[in-house]
Amino acid sequence: MNDSLDSAALGLPVRISHIAWDHLSPGEGRRLREFGLMEGVEVTPLHRGSLFSRDPLALAVGRMKVVIRAAQAAKIEVEAAVAAA
Amino acid sequence: MTAAMPTIALVGNPNAGKSSLFNALTGARQKIANYPGVTVERKAGHASFADGRPLSLIDLPGSYSLTPSSPDEQVTRDVILGKQAGEALPDALIVVVDAANLDNHLCFALELIALGRPTVVALNMLDLATRDGLTLDVEALSRELGVPVVPTVAVRRRGLVDLLSAVDGALLSHGESGAERGGVAAQEGDIHRRARVIARAATVAERPVRRWTQRVDAIALHPVAGFLILLALMFIMFQAVYAWSEAPIGWIEGAIATMQEMVIGAMPDSFLRGLIVEGILGGVGSVIVFLPQILILFLFILLLEASGYMTRAAFLMDGIMARVGLSGRGFIPLLSSFACAVPGIMATRAIPDAKDRLTTILIAPLMTCSARLPVYTLIIGAFIPNRNVGNSPVGLQGLVLFGLYVSGIVGALVVALVLRRTLAKGSSASFMMEMPRYQWPRLRDVLISLWQRAWIFLRRAGTIIFVTTIALWLLLSYPKLPDGSSESQVDYSVAGRIASGLEVVVRPIGFNHDIALALIPAMAAREVAVSAMATANAIDAGDDEEALAQTLGERLQGRWSLATALAFLAWFVFAPQCISTIAITRRETNGWKWPLFMVGYLFALAYAAAGITYWTAVAFGLG
Repeated sequence: MNDSLDSAALGLPVRISHIAWDHLSPGEGRRLREFGLMEGVEVTPLHRGSLFSRDPLALAVGRMKVVIRAAQAAKIEVEAAVAAA
Repeated sequence: MTAAMPTIALVGNPNAGKSSLFNALTGARQKIANYPGVTVERKAGHASFADGRPLSLIDLPGSYSLTPSSPDEQVTRDVILGKQAGEALPDALIVVVDAANLDNHLCFALELIALGRPTVVALNMLDLATRDGLTLDVEALSRELGVPVVPTVAVRRRGLVDLLSAVDGALLSHGESGAERGGVAAQEGDIHRRARVIARAATVAERPVRRWTQRVDAIALHPVAGFLILLALMFIMFQAVYAWSEAPIGWIEGAIATMQEMVIGAMPDSFLRGLIVEGILGGVGSVIVFLPQILILFLFILLLEASGYMTRAAFLMDGIMARVGLSGRGFIPLLSSFACAVPGIMATRAIPDAKDRLTTILIAPLMTCSARLPVYTLIIGAFIPNRNVGNSPVGLQGLVLFGLYVSGIVGALVVALVLRRTLAKGSSASFMMEMPRYQWPRLRDVLISLWQRAWIFLRRAGTIIFVTTIALWLLLSYPKLPDGSSESQVDYSVAGRIASGLEVVVRPIGFNHDIALALIPAMAAREVAVSAMATANAIDAGDDEEALAQTLGERLQGRWSLATALAFLAWFVFAPQCISTIAITRRETNGWKWPLFMVGYLFALAYAAAGITYWTAVAFGLG
């Protein structure tokens, strides 16, 4: 089942199945790739928002933690990944 | 091919520990300036090889690739490619990578190695990687990359000698062969794939550990708890600025008074003595007393930044910032604007979106910078009673000060909201940033930065404030009041007459002659308002010993109404009283349009705020 990253459950690893690169600005797309967010990569949504908003979203990508907004996360399609240990 | 003193550039991803490595290599032998034409900081310093030969090191802004997406990254690329004006092509590169984040950091490293320059990779923060359960094969990594790899732990000064000798070797062998490496595919996707393959080859063992940072973040980034922690930290910070500075301020005041007495004792009453005692010691001294408060504020900001918490704060604030069309990225420049808007505005260079950045620059002066503290402290001390609110432990003076800070913040948010819907209209800002790991701030790195900030403040006090104080003292002292005149020397002087002209404009909002007199020199720097009043006061007191013994605050109490004092405070929440801020805005926005707009809207806000405060206070019978 495919789902977009902005609605993925927190704490569960997911695999990126597709990124709608055309719907991201070139700068946004490049920064995602620089963070290592690409098709086939496994990420774990960790934290979402603060008192006043459900935005932004903090993700674990490998050994790195990055923050993106829901608007960008909505362009990233993910599928359930086999949970790593 | 290498000059007598080779120049080595330190380059790497953000959060690779580059600045710690730079500090460890150069120590106190470093200088901060700006690159000509742009305001990106140029950090350079000296170090030496094992045999004592000197080398020059430059620390470049952290970057993810050679394709820039902010002015900071633009400079990094231009320096590396030898295109930056005023900077020669570096003789060699030290690429700093975070040992625990090879997958990502090797991408930039591969891009840099492909340039074919003499390159050494510093495999930094190896201790943290080991702590996280990672075992790396340094030789395999070096083999794959085709350049020397040296493990370093910058904060513990480990591997520094090896690193420099590897650089020396790279310079030598490059000089002999003139070899151009190449052949590394420059395609972005390929680089990512290669980086991952190499990272995997170099990783001997990876033990997944449940990192404690996860648990800390579960609280620090919690939607409710995290926000309360952030508020508490801010509260402690501003509280400490007052509580901790009391004693050191007393020492500085004591030292200045002693110096004044020494000069009075050693010199006959003369022009020069007046200049030294009233102008220089009185004027500059009244500003230097605030050094402790400024250092405490900067200390907190530096600690928050070095520990990795600042990005968490940006995460928590992003929701609020988004409401007014900004991003959490703007939180860091705005928070550092509480110390001083100049570095704050310079820090906006990390904001990629142009409209987001412009708006952040334009509201930065509304954050209550430390230069307002002298003014606030003086007026609050003189006019607000030192008692608690009701039976609570909250002090009234502190509450007023808190209110002034809040007014600035609320004003900034409103202005941002309006700007993002009118002049700086654009798509909603994006917010993408890497969250560094938590780290213990290193005393040495914090002290170096703190010293640099202190030096900037003292230089400001020693130049702008010194010159304006002396100029004002001269304008206040001449022409001399004729004997037997009933007028005061201040009113009779050139400055007094100029102030009388300005007074016409500011009288409707409750300002008096004292204030009109202080406003003009305070354009140079806000804190000059205090030294200006101190100087005018000292001249006015003349030989009247009773008047001289009074503090400036006591004198003002007798001359100002409470309504006037409150209006004066409201004015300083908004007024753009700072030449440096206007100058930096001009440089950062590349023209006069935005700084002029900024000055205009801030003066309008200040005039309105002071007026409303005054009229309201008078209506309540405080006039």
